[in-house]
Amino acid sequence: MKLYNISLQSLRRRKSRTIFLIFGLLLAVASFVTLYVVSENVNKNVAENLDEFGANMLITPKSDGLNLSYGGVAITGVTIENSSLSYNDIAKIKSIKNKDNLRIIAPKLFNSIKVQYLDGIGEINVVAAGVNFKDEVRLKKWWRVIGNYPSQENEILMGSEASKLLEMKLNQKTSLNGEEFLVSGILEETGSQDDGLIFLDLKKSQELFNKKNELSLIEIAARCYDCPIEEIVRQTSSKLPGAKVTAIKQTIESKMTAIHRFEHFSLGISAVILVISLLIVFTNVNASVNERTKEIGIFMSVGFRRWHIIKIILLEVLIASFSAGVIGFFIGIAGAKIITPILSMDDSITINFSYSLLLLSAGMAVTAGLLASVLPALKAARLDPTVAFRSL
Amino acid sequence: MSLIQINNLIKEYKSGIEKVTAVNNISLEIKQGEFISLMGESGSGKSTLLTMLGGLNKPTKGKVIIDEIDIYNLSANSLADFRREYIGFVFQSFQLIPYLTVIENVQLPLATNGHSKKLQAELASSIINKVHLESKGKRLINELSGGEQQRVAIARALINDPLILLTDEPTGNLDSKTSEDIMNIFRELNRLGKNIIMVTHNSDFKKYSSRNIHLSDGKLIC
Repeated sequence: MKLYNISLQSLRRRKSRTIFLIFGLLLAVASFVTLYVVSENVNKNVAENLDEFGANMLITPKSDGLNLSYGGVAITGVTIENSSLSYNDIAKIKSIKNKDNLRIIAPKLFNSIKVQYLDGIGEINVVAAGVNFKDEVRLKKWWRVIGNYPSQENEILMGSEASKLLEMKLNQKTSLNGEEFLVSGILEETGSQDDGLIFLDLKKSQELFNKKNELSLIEIAARCYDCPIEEIVRQTSSKLPGAKVTAIKQTIESKMTAIHRFEHFSLGISAVILVISLLIVFTNVNASVNERTKEIGIFMSVGFRRWHIIKIILLEVLIASFSAGVIGFFIGIAGAKIITPILSMDDSITINFSYSLLLLSAGMAVTAGLLASVLPALKAARLDPTVAFRSL
Repeated sequence: MSLIQINNLIKEYKSGIEKVTAVNNISLEIKQGEFISLMGESGSGKSTLLTMLGGLNKPTKGKVIIDEIDIYNLSANSLADFRREYIGFVFQSFQLIPYLTVIENVQLPLATNGHSKKLQAELASSIINKVHLESKGKRLINELSGGEQQRVAIARALINDPLILLTDEPTGNLDSKTSEDIMNIFRELNRLGKNIIMVTHNSDFKKYSSRNIHLSDGKLIC
């Protein structure tokens, strides 16, 4: 017989009290784990979706001249017939240390182009943008197109203003720099510079403008949830010394604010649950000490020191709260598995088992349990032997 | 030579605004090997005196000296150790831990003294045999009769081989046949050298004790 045997037998043979004690903490741990895992995964998911929603980095050639503003950032090399960015730079960008954070790389080539309109009656200079449509469409999720995105080299997409100016209709043929193209789609108004542009396939534009392998700018959507964008900018700059790499801070700030708001909300709820569970444990252990006055009197009569009585009570709470931490963790993970896909509207999210979270849960439960039990345990140990004995 | 010396012992309680004197200036000597019956009406102070002898109830004034130790001069921890080594308690309502088995209840006083599991088992087994409960070691307390429960309580009180056995109405909850059995156990223990101080209402038990002490209104009357 050791003191821990008394604690163990008390827990084992007074099942309803033990279940109630475990339940209070289990509820807190399970809620905490669910909220933590859900918030972490939903945050990641939201961050990933936001990261794909428009570029947060822009790479342009270094130049003193400012010729075209694109997304608030000046683009060089549109009017002058050379470019310091090339297609090979994309491979260099993909070789940075944080390459896994680069979600979309959308290179562009801008050039003024002569377009025939009114069935060849007139001709006008318009800015044309050579793009990889697959990347561009992923990057600009707000684009809505009448017709289809170009799928052939000789198809073009027209900005809404450009189509009005040139009086171009869907499926109409036109000539760009003397070569015939089909208008496969017209963009709905975006309110951006895209409205005034004509978009065509990047490779085709390089041929058409006689700028083989050249690029005017590269837009990048980088995942900045778990890596500071400044670090990605620094790494990219070092790979492309001839280019200017800019982080679009406004976009990043608004994304991070949205993410952190959800994190703070989860943290706040977890704190409230933790306080409630502390009160439950405190009330439970306190009531248990009051109920056990007689038992404490027996312990005193057989020669237990005050510390022995504290030890018995705290050991019980320690075992119960550790169990609550472990069981609560698994219930919390199960809860997160159910809730996360609903909240994120993404069934592909997988919830991984985390040993560190298991340790944190058990540690949190034990700390909370012991914190809530210290006062009742001290109260038990300080019980006046006369009072404890009077109940015998 | 006296084993217990009680000098001018006074115990006062507050009951609301009233001061109650439960034990009123008692001086007493108890010699080695005695079996004392403490008798008196309800509220005469016998149980209070018993708990003061057991180191569980600090007197308002006076001294309790047991085996030359002034017990209320000891620190809280030393007093707890003293109780474990010198005193065995047996109560009217048995006071066993309901979630422990017979053997675990008997071993309870050993939980803090560092004995090995083997030694604890040997000690418990030997004591349980003495009180004829060898077949019930693994039973829970609520599976036993009143007499059996009191025998478990006696076994628990004896496991540390204490110098003094303090019993408070040990047969109060038992029928007359079982009471006789329990009293015979006490007589046998006293014959083997155990010092016993028993609080009782029952004057029939005078025959078991070597000395009867009567209390009235907290005072010793004979």
